[in-house]
Amino acid sequence: MKMADELQESSQGEMEGVNCLASDEAILAQQDRIQHEIATTNPLVSGRQDLSVLKGEYAAEDTIYQLKIKDLHKTYSHIRKTRPDGNCFYRAFGFAHLESLLEDSKELQRFKDVAAKSKLDLVNQGFTEFTIEDFHNTFMDLIDLCEKQQSLGELLSSFNDQSVSDYIVVYLRLLTSGYLQREHGFFQHFIEGGRCVKEFCQQEVEPMSKESDHIHIIALAKALNVPILVEYMDRGEGGTVNHHIFPEGREPRIFLLYRPGHYDILYK
Amino acid sequence: MESKYNLKSPAVKRLMKEAAELRDPTEHYHAQPLEDNLFEWHFSVRGPPDSDFDGGVYHGRIVLPPEYPMKPPSIILLTPNGRFEVGKKICLSISGHHPETWQPSWSIRTALIAIIGFMPTKGEGAIGSLDYTPEERRALAKKSQDFCCEACGSCMRTALQALSPDSDLRPADPQAHRLAQQINFKAESSSDSAGASAASSQAEQHSTSGSTADDRDSQDSTLAEQSGSTSLAPQTSAEGPSSVAPSPRQRRTQNQTQSPRYPAFTASPVAQQPPQDTGHTGSVVLIFLLTLALAALIFRRIYLANEYKFDYEL
Repeated sequence: MKMADELQESSQGEMEGVNCLASDEAILAQQDRIQHEIATTNPLVSGRQDLSVLKGEYAAEDTIYQLKIKDLHKTYSHIRKTRPDGNCFYRAFGFAHLESLLEDSKELQRFKDVAAKSKLDLVNQGFTEFTIEDFHNTFMDLIDLCEKQQSLGELLSSFNDQSVSDYIVVYLRLLTSGYLQREHGFFQHFIEGGRCVKEFCQQEVEPMSKESDHIHIIALAKALNVPILVEYMDRGEGGTVNHHIFPEGREPRIFLLYRPGHYDILYK
Repeated sequence: MESKYNLKSPAVKRLMKEAAELRDPTEHYHAQPLEDNLFEWHFSVRGPPDSDFDGGVYHGRIVLPPEYPMKPPSIILLTPNGRFEVGKKICLSISGHHPETWQPSWSIRTALIAIIGFMPTKGEGAIGSLDYTPEERRALAKKSQDFCCEACGSCMRTALQALSPDSDLRPADPQAHRLAQQINFKAESSSDSAGASAASSQAEQHSTSGSTADDRDSQDSTLAEQSGSTSLAPQTSAEGPSSVAPSPRQRRTQNQTQSPRYPAFTASPVAQQPPQDTGHTGSVVLIFLLTLALAALIFRRIYLANEYKFDYEL
C-alpha cells in the first residue's frame, strides 16, 4: 500500500493536467464550506465589546496569553472583532478610521481630500478607471455618510453589508497596491521569493482574502497618511504585548490587535 | 433593461458600465449582454493570427455570478473551434491552484483578451479542452464565419470590425499571449478525483516583463505580468524578474527534450516546468507499475498460502 502511495505521489506531477481541475473544484468547495461556517459565526465587523471577552477565549491555565491579556488591559478597554476571512486587516483599518472620523471633522476633511484624489493616482498608474471607480465611489460614499449622518450605527451596518464592505476592502487593497508600486524602489527589498513589487501586488495584495503583513500595513498607512499601531499578541515569552507603529515615530490614530493570522480593533 | 434591475446592486452597476464600454465591436472582440439578461453575455472573438485559428471568429456565452466582480465570470464557447469543447462551462480562474486570485478590478474585456491568448495554447487533456489537429482547426476556423447565433442574432461575418490592411494585426496579442499563460480556463467538472492534490504544483514559470511596467495602459496588461502560480513555494520558481515564460512552442520542444522514460519519478513539485506533454505517458507508466505491484502482492499471497500448506503437509 505504501508503495502505491508513493507512486501516487510521484505521479502527481504528471497527473496535474487532468487532476488539478478536479482538485480545484474540491478545494473550492471546501473553501466555500469553511467560509460559510466562518461567516455564520462572525459578523464582518462586530459591536464594541469589553476587552475582558478575550480572557474567555483562552484557557485559564494558558499563562502566556492570560498574562498578555492582562497587559493589554493596562492600555485598552474595548475590542471590536472582525471576521477572520483574510480581509480583516483592511476591514479593521477601514472601520476604525472611519469611526474615528465621526468625531474629528478636521481629519475627516483631510482624509476626504486624500481619498478623493487617490483614484486619479491609481488611474495614472495604469489601473482601469471604469473598473476601479465603483470601488472608489463606494469608499467616498461611506466617507460622506460619516460626514453627514455621523451615525455609528449606519457605519456599522454598512460595514456589515457584504457588498459595501467588500468594495471598501477592494479599494483599500488597490490603494495599498498603488502605494507599493509607486514606491517600488523601496519596497522591493522587503519582498521574498524573487518577485517584483508588481507581481507581489497581484498575488498578495489585490486579490481578496490575501492576508496582510507589515509591508501591507506600512503601505496603506502611508498611502492615506493614517498612522496605525498594532499590538502583537502571540506565544512569545515575556508576558507583555509588543507593539509596532506604522510608520515609525508617528502618533498613532488607530489601534489594532494582532493575533497570529488575524487583526481586531482595540479601543483605549 | 434599466428598469428591470436594481441599479444599487454593485454587479448591475458594474455590468452596465462594462456593457457601455464594450458596446462597439473592435477588430478583435465584442461582447454585449443579452437583451433580457444582464448576467448573460454573448461574445465574439477573432482567432489569433499566426495560429490555426487565423481567419476564425468564434462565438460564446459569458455567465456572470451574482457576486460579480467579486467572483469570476464563466465562459462557454458556442462555435466549434477545436480548442475548447462546445457548450461546456469553462470558468475563468487565474491559475488552477490560485482560484482565489481573480481580481475584482479585472473585467469582461480582460476575460476576452485571455480567451484569444489562450486559444493557441495546448489543451493538454484538461477537462473542457480539445487538442484537434491544425488541419481540423483551420477547417473549423473557416467554417466559423458561417455561424449565426440564434440567441443574440449576431453573425460571425459581421460581428467584429473588419480587419483593415493597415490595422495592427496583433494589437492584443503579445499581451494576450502572456495573459493566457497565467490563466487557466477551468472546466466545471463534476468528476471529483480523490487522488488529486494541491501538492501537484502547477509550477508555471514566472512570466514577467519589467520593461513594460511603466507604460501599461490598462489593468488588463498588468494581468499579463502576473507571475504564474507557484502554490507550494514561490521561491522555487524564482527565476528572477527577467525570465520570460516560454511560448507553447518552446514548451513543447522543451518537453520533447526531456527524457520521457520515467517521468513519474522525475516529477517533483519543485520542478520548474513539469513535463506537461508526458502526462499521458505518466499515466500509462503509473498504471503499469501499479499492475506490477498488485501482481507482486497477489503472487506473494499465493506463495505464502502455499508455503503454509507445505508446512502443514510436512
